[in-house]
Amino acid sequence: MPPAEIWIDGLVQSCIYMTMAFGMVLVFSILGILNWAHGQFYMLGAFVVYYAITAAGIPFPISLLISGVVVGGLGMLVEKFVIERLTSPGYGMLYVTVATLALMFFFEGAAGMAFGLMDKGLSTVLPGVLDLGSFSVSYQKIAVIIFTLVIMISMYIVLNRTKVGLAIRAAAQEPVAASLYGISVGRVSLIVMGIGCALAAMAGGIMAPVYTTNPFMGRIPMIMSLLAIIIGGLGSLTGAIVGGIILGFLNSVIAYHLSYVSEFVLFLLVIIILLVRPQGLFGAPLK
Amino acid sequence: MPYFDYKTLIPRTVIGVLIALFVIIPVFTTNVITISIFISSGIWAIAVMGFVLILRTGQFSMGQAAFMALGAYTSAILTIKLGMPFWPSFLLAGIVSGIIALIIGLVVLRVGGIYFSIITLAFGEVVRIFAQQMEGITRGARGLIPPMPPTIVLGGFEINFAAGPVPYYYFMILLVAITAVVFWRIDRSRMGGTFSSMAANQILAEHQGIHLMKYRVIAFTIAGVFTGFAGAYYANFLSIITPLMFGLWQSIQIMMMSIVGGISSIVGGALIGATILYTLGIYLSRLPIFNIQYLLFGAAVVLVLLFLPKGTGLVDLWGKFWHKVFREPEEYEMPEESEMAVE
Repeated sequence: MPPAEIWIDGLVQSCIYMTMAFGMVLVFSILGILNWAHGQFYMLGAFVVYYAITAAGIPFPISLLISGVVVGGLGMLVEKFVIERLTSPGYGMLYVTVATLALMFFFEGAAGMAFGLMDKGLSTVLPGVLDLGSFSVSYQKIAVIIFTLVIMISMYIVLNRTKVGLAIRAAAQEPVAASLYGISVGRVSLIVMGIGCALAAMAGGIMAPVYTTNPFMGRIPMIMSLLAIIIGGLGSLTGAIVGGIILGFLNSVIAYHLSYVSEFVLFLLVIIILLVRPQGLFGAPLK
Repeated sequence: MPYFDYKTLIPRTVIGVLIALFVIIPVFTTNVITISIFISSGIWAIAVMGFVLILRTGQFSMGQAAFMALGAYTSAILTIKLGMPFWPSFLLAGIVSGIIALIIGLVVLRVGGIYFSIITLAFGEVVRIFAQQMEGITRGARGLIPPMPPTIVLGGFEINFAAGPVPYYYFMILLVAITAVVFWRIDRSRMGGTFSSMAANQILAEHQGIHLMKYRVIAFTIAGVFTGFAGAYYANFLSIITPLMFGLWQSIQIMMMSIVGGISSIVGGALIGATILYTLGIYLSRLPIFNIQYLLFGAAVVLVLLFLPKGTGLVDLWGKFWHKVFREPEEYEMPEESEMAVE
């Protein structure tokens, strides 16, 4: 058995992958595309939080919200000016995929130019550890866990108890019928892209004190949350959450036992799961 | 009957002159950097052609760089560890890469679409991690140094690969030409038609009696063979192989090259896309502002996608251009008034 710290670390990682995978699945279920630049929104969110705290002196929770709003707006712009223009009928998924891949380079380059390539630490936020006898947990990690719970509950409320949520669910299920009932699918995609990017940004912001912030920090969480939604089943929100939990714990627990082979095991596991059950754990059967 | 059809003759002449220009480039300049850029873009073009061939069947592979890595490592390990001569090991590089593509294809191509992309992505990462960690065979991140091709004596000529990049350049042209002819013939053949029908409507194609899996595996294997050659040659030209040369980001670059060049033409689009993006990447990385190359590279790809008509690549401008130049005025015969009056 790995020590408790490893399990805590797994929990923190699964929280982040869960939040990001949730946003990605939400975008996928409405727009029908995988947003490859999702990890870069995570990175930008971390930078917004870093500068809001160090340069402007805004308290941590409010700067988290600011990063959600700013990066969510950026995501909406991307949807409006890039994705929407490339998803009109007759284009196929390929062009959007390549466009979001190119945006990934674009945002990394922009962040590298604007903020520099140095690692930026934010360890002054929420210092100290909670001593639990045999092991201890830093307050930053507790903040990540609480934040994820809050986000998940509020997303549950938004999706199930509000009119916007109803519109999103309807548009995900049957876009044509939804538009016949007066739901503007274009506006829903805009909102969903904003929510997805804001989730990624806030995940990045909450992780800024735990790890360091640099322009390339988004790559690994992006790949991991991608694998999480593939394991959980594309288009399934439950699948995204379960996949995120599985991958987060696998990443830390396997790494504890096998050190560098863990990545290898992870990718092999994904290949095997896809071969045995291509629709993922919670996805609808393939047509 | 000799028939002077200027509409096809002039574009063909222009293409022929361009090809001839590329063949005699070493006459004008033997600048190592220029020639090297052309060699590398030619090699990437081969990989891009393989990607487009798979794309023709409606699948997109996100692990094409892994096959370059397989080819490169096979060739280098055979020559260094087993003492095999260069040319047999070069041939074996393509064959081994093709066999692995066949096995992977047989296992993986059952699931199509986005799942295939993700599995190939994972496969590419598995190959990279494998190359990084098996230090006994691949020397890990320190990299393998493949030996040079031996001097060839052909009649009175002596082709010495150690002398400079020019022999590499001509061998690259030979390799690209072979790949281009093979892929072009496949694209024009009945099999090419089958590929496009599968991409256009998978269900209809299956109901017409097309064995989807079989043709997907064929395309994947052929692409694997040629990508393996490209990888082996690339490693040999750069005289170093490290695992990070053929990672996920290189696979993404192959995708971008194919889209920017245009996927309507399997050869032209690949050549244009690979040359432009590779050259752009090299020149951008020389700019004094740090990290600006990523920004401009991404921006260039997005702009090409947004502003070219219907999101197609650069190669389609060619057809549009000739269509504009030679567009015949459309003639409508107006019915005469008297006839109209009679009716």
